Amino acid sequence: MRTVLVVDDEFGTVEVLVAALEDAGYRVLTAANGRRALERLEENKPDLVVSDFMMPLMDGAALVEAIRSNPQFRDIPVIMMSAAPETALRKQVDGYEAFLRKPFRVPALLELIASLLNPPRSSSPR
Amino acid sequence: MTGNGDQLKLERVPTGITGLDRILRGGLLRGGVYIIEGVPGTGKTILANQICFSHVAAGGHGAFVTLLAESHTRMLQHLQPMSFYHEEAIPDRLYYVSGFRILESEGLKGIVDLLRREITGHQASLLVLDGFATTEESASSPREFKKFVHELQSHAAALECTVLLLTNGSACGVSPEYTMVDGVIRLEDTLFEQRTERTLQVAKFRGSDFLDGRHPFRITNQGLEIFPRIETAFAVPTVRDVYFPRRQSTGVPTLDAILGGGLLAQTSNGLYGPTGIGKTTLGLQYVAQSEPAEPGAFFGFFESPERLRARAETLGIDLRALEQRGAVEVIWYPQGEHILDELGHRMIEAVRRRGVKRLFVDGYGALVESATNPERMTRFISTLGNELRALKATVIMSMESRNVLGTATELPDKGLSSLLEGLILMRYTELDGRIRRLVSVTKIRDSAFDPGLREFAITPHGIEIGAAIHGMEAVLSGFAREPKAVTPDSRAQGKHRED
Repeated sequence: MRTVLVVDDEFGTVEVLVAALEDAGYRVLTAANGRRALERLEENKPDLVVSDFMMPLMDGAALVEAIRSNPQFRDIPVIMMSAAPETALRKQVDGYEAFLRKPFRVPALLELIASLLNPPRSSSPR
Repeated sequence: MTGNGDQLKLERVPTGITGLDRILRGGLLRGGVYIIEGVPGTGKTILANQICFSHVAAGGHGAFVTLLAESHTRMLQHLQPMSFYHEEAIPDRLYYVSGFRILESEGLKGIVDLLRREITGHQASLLVLDGFATTEESASSPREFKKFVHELQSHAAALECTVLLLTNGSACGVSPEYTMVDGVIRLEDTLFEQRTERTLQVAKFRGSDFLDGRHPFRITNQGLEIFPRIETAFAVPTVRDVYFPRRQSTGVPTLDAILGGGLLAQTSNGLYGPTGIGKTTLGLQYVAQSEPAEPGAFFGFFESPERLRARAETLGIDLRALEQRGAVEVIWYPQGEHILDELGHRMIEAVRRRGVKRLFVDGYGALVESATNPERMTRFISTLGNELRALKATVIMSMESRNVLGTATELPDKGLSSLLEGLILMRYTELDGRIRRLVSVTKIRDSAFDPGLREFAITPHGIEIGAAIHGMEAVLSGFAREPKAVTPDSRAQGKHRED
């Protein structure tokens, strides 16, 4: 079973994503900010991270930077999500695989996760 | 060597909302903590966001922290149609975070730390905490809650960050936080029979005076548009009333002669009469005298600009040409549910913007209709008139009498006649089976005028006034008659009655 770490400060968003991802067959870990997400990563390395950008204590930009700078985690794909447009985020963060502008439809996220975890022309899991 | 006078003076942080900054005498105070309270739907979140976007547009940084409130995604979706919303400000200059999970896991101490970090981390000079009531619910004791508010105030002052606390709050305002914070702004939505009126009231504001009482506002796609109550906003005219007595033509030469040379400039005048008698016609003739150097405005509620132009044409007035030359502006507010103070502000703005010298308001009844408290009308007209006169405008306001024919000649409101420097009366009267139009001047303050009644007609050249009426009686009753010839019989009857 693939594991997805959902990082968001808004508990309503987390609740919705946890339910949808579990229904789709994923194991889900959660964190309310970037700092908690790094602790989670140390505890259980996920296959993919879905992170909000604007969060207290540590934002999505700092989280991605920490993931990419750690050899143990740098291969984990990250989906960044935000209510702000991606153009505004790009000034502060790089290194994520995909972006979803909030609000988005859950099937769009599931499709994106599936494509990142099972890339075309690749028979072996990541 | 310098003193510390400048350090002691608290800097203003404009809200960017013209009406609110006027009420607050320039804005909030830097480093102050303010409660914005109101029941759900009164506009707290829009107001706070509007202030944030205005603040960051002016170069500041803002942080918006929510606790069990609407999600940021949903909130920003709701804000998108608003003209003040600029998404490029997010997240660089304006940052949205939720503090609810920190509140749950770390309590009020965690929230204080979070707010302090958000202020320093984003160099925020403005911070909003939406869902403030949740912090009180989370406090283990009133003492802990007071300590939380006190710590918040200390950080806000030390970091020079202005803080807005949004809460459903209590209208009584006796909770400890109300005594501790620097100000309380209350939003309300009051039902008046079928209509509602939104109002904003500054219930407390430390360090400065402010315009007290309730001020109406509306929420449009511009955000909150606040209209400080005319009686307080213009209690003293915004410019010095420099007055040089001079005359101004009404556009009807005979009427000018009756008035002793025209209306007194920079005065408020009433034009009173029943429907259809020619008040709007006189108004059109009045504003048609305007020139770009001495502009006029027709501020009406009844006829659309197109219909007004068509009517003007029947009087030989090319209203469109006057508008194109910049001599006249036609402002039309079709009757609906207006806010009285909004109309007052629009009128003053129209006069100020173009330096209007001739203003015709058509008419008073529509202003009364827009008032949720008609008892204000005398004070409203008095204050409005003072400001318009100080702005060097001469005003004629049409006022409709209830009866088409009859004896009632009372003005719509008690006290109104004393506010008007001039009063022109138009009446119908019946004589020889025909309805005739009459005009008379009943008041020109501090000036001689011809008080005689005159018949007038509306011709293709406008209003034409005839000679004074002589030899008629009971004209003002609406049923004029020639005096009966005095005969020995009638003398006898009169004597009999006297007996």
